[in-house]
Amino acid sequence: MNGAHFVVQALKQHQITQVFGYPGGAIMPLYDALYDGGVDHLLCRHEQGAAMAAIGYARSTGKVGVCIATSGPGATNLITGLADALMDSIPIVAITGQVASHLIGTDAFQEIDVLGLSLACTKHSFMVKSADQLGPIIEQAFKLAQSGRPGPVLIDIPKDIQLGDAVNYVAIHAAQTTEAIDQHKLNKALSMINAANRPLLYVGGGVGMANAIAPLREFIEASKIPSVCTLKAIGAIAHDSAYFMGMVGMHGSKASNLAIQECDLLIAIGARFDDRVTGKLDEFAQHAKVIHLDIDAAEIDKLRCVELAMTDDLKKLLPLLNVKSHEHTHEWRKKILKMKVDYANRYDHPGEAIYAPAMLRQLAEMQPRDTVICTDVGQHQMWVAQHMFVDRPENHISSSGLGTMGFGIPAAVGAQVARPNDMVIAVSGDGSFMMNVQELGTIKRRKLPVKILLIDNQRLGMVRQWQKLFFDGRYSETILTDNPDFVTLASAFDIPGETIVVKSQLQGALTRLLESDGPYLLHVSISEEENVWPLVPPGAPNDKMMESLQ
Amino acid sequence: MKSLLIIQGQNSPELLERLLRIVRHRGFSVQNLQAETSENEQELHLTLTVHSDREISLLTKQLEKVFGIVKVATLSQEAMVKASA
Repeated sequence: MNGAHFVVQALKQHQITQVFGYPGGAIMPLYDALYDGGVDHLLCRHEQGAAMAAIGYARSTGKVGVCIATSGPGATNLITGLADALMDSIPIVAITGQVASHLIGTDAFQEIDVLGLSLACTKHSFMVKSADQLGPIIEQAFKLAQSGRPGPVLIDIPKDIQLGDAVNYVAIHAAQTTEAIDQHKLNKALSMINAANRPLLYVGGGVGMANAIAPLREFIEASKIPSVCTLKAIGAIAHDSAYFMGMVGMHGSKASNLAIQECDLLIAIGARFDDRVTGKLDEFAQHAKVIHLDIDAAEIDKLRCVELAMTDDLKKLLPLLNVKSHEHTHEWRKKILKMKVDYANRYDHPGEAIYAPAMLRQLAEMQPRDTVICTDVGQHQMWVAQHMFVDRPENHISSSGLGTMGFGIPAAVGAQVARPNDMVIAVSGDGSFMMNVQELGTIKRRKLPVKILLIDNQRLGMVRQWQKLFFDGRYSETILTDNPDFVTLASAFDIPGETIVVKSQLQGALTRLLESDGPYLLHVSISEEENVWPLVPPGAPNDKMMESLQ
Repeated sequence: MKSLLIIQGQNSPELLERLLRIVRHRGFSVQNLQAETSENEQELHLTLTVHSDREISLLTKQLEKVFGIVKVATLSQEAMVKASA
């Protein structure tokens, strides 16, 4: 058995049945081994697409996503996807071919220092230097990708090691030791929560990553503590939960942002005080003591110094927060309910032009149960976060930390491959869509029934909005009136579609989108004047949000 | 503030580079550095003096997370002064 066959065997041993990638010179031995079958490989049309498909696969299932690329440009094209996975803590194993060992450092054809490149955009990375390292490195890579705070791990394998004889390796699984919970800290946390008059949960993506949705919901149900969530935690709390106010931060709901500023105890769970959440950090939850629960010790006191922190597996921690609802929080809960009513989203909109927030709300109400929504990045992404709803974090896949345009279509490819029986909808914008438009070729190749909702304002809408608000309306390079005819473009990939421009067309078009047997493109033309509200201006505290142009 | 860090780890060809990247990226500058591998090159011992306006714990917590790092110890300048007094 050669090294390449050994890699395929190791993938099978890790229950990897699906990988995404693109072949090339230095990875040809591995592709030759894949040719024998056993691990399904989906050819994407760009390595960035392969990395993001692996992310979509991982995020929609909780499993490890695997992507493969060749040396040099193949590896550099993976980098954005790896960075995206690092920022959103997604378990990915990336395998890259490298030029033969004796050529490394000679500026050989398609040689680049991939290990060096990987340092800033992976949780860890390895270069295999000898055949006997291959087994332990693959074992370690899968372990690292999933353990603690998950993340992407890269394995760079020189071509001669893929071609040379493999060295047998039997993994030794050491018994996992778990540290006991610090009872003193737990008691302190419970007494802080029980004493608070205005407690608030700030729930982040870590809860979903820890598979701790059930204990979180039980805690919320029993304690009736009001809650807000981050972009990545959408779906962690049931959208109709009584005291849940939706997303917090720059484009968060008004109720969420006001509640944060008024609470006297903030309980951050699997969240990291990102600047898009906190606004002006010094004034974020400035009347609150903070309890921070997270698996990653490096997140504690990184941006906000907290009164109490517990670093452990949330699945283990959350069931220990045994809190009942208290009478002394009644006024606070009443206020939350009032804010939810007073500041509820409004969908009345004058004129015939399609109002994207109302359309997305309508789609959310029409879509089948367990639909996966993948988004790109920009205004449409925030409208999805504000106006659509899902009830599992695996069903809302959005590039949160890195904010990677071009993410939506390949992520939808990965999600649809992973969950063939569920509907997958990619909501994109005209800017983002063109960034990985080649992945329509992957949809065609695998005949994936991905539904694409393309919201087109012929602008780079979010940048335009900032230009309007903060750069005196100087629309530098954000006007895309020369966009292609998107329906014709999709038809070249055998994807049928239609364009709509007025509200009266919506119901029929959304029905055709959802009821189409295969892939479908619904191209929705909207006004470039629509903006995302509310907006906390950069550098402002969260309660100083703008709600319109006035 | 200046801090002295003592780091021990299982050596790998890129470990030093990996650690120094983190030091720079997290907002610290290196003022002094001594790196030594054990005779069999299995272990790396690193002593470095870093400077930053940021709390040293922001750096040490990131370094402790690196795969293969066995120990990160810190001595802030004030403590050193007190110890030598």
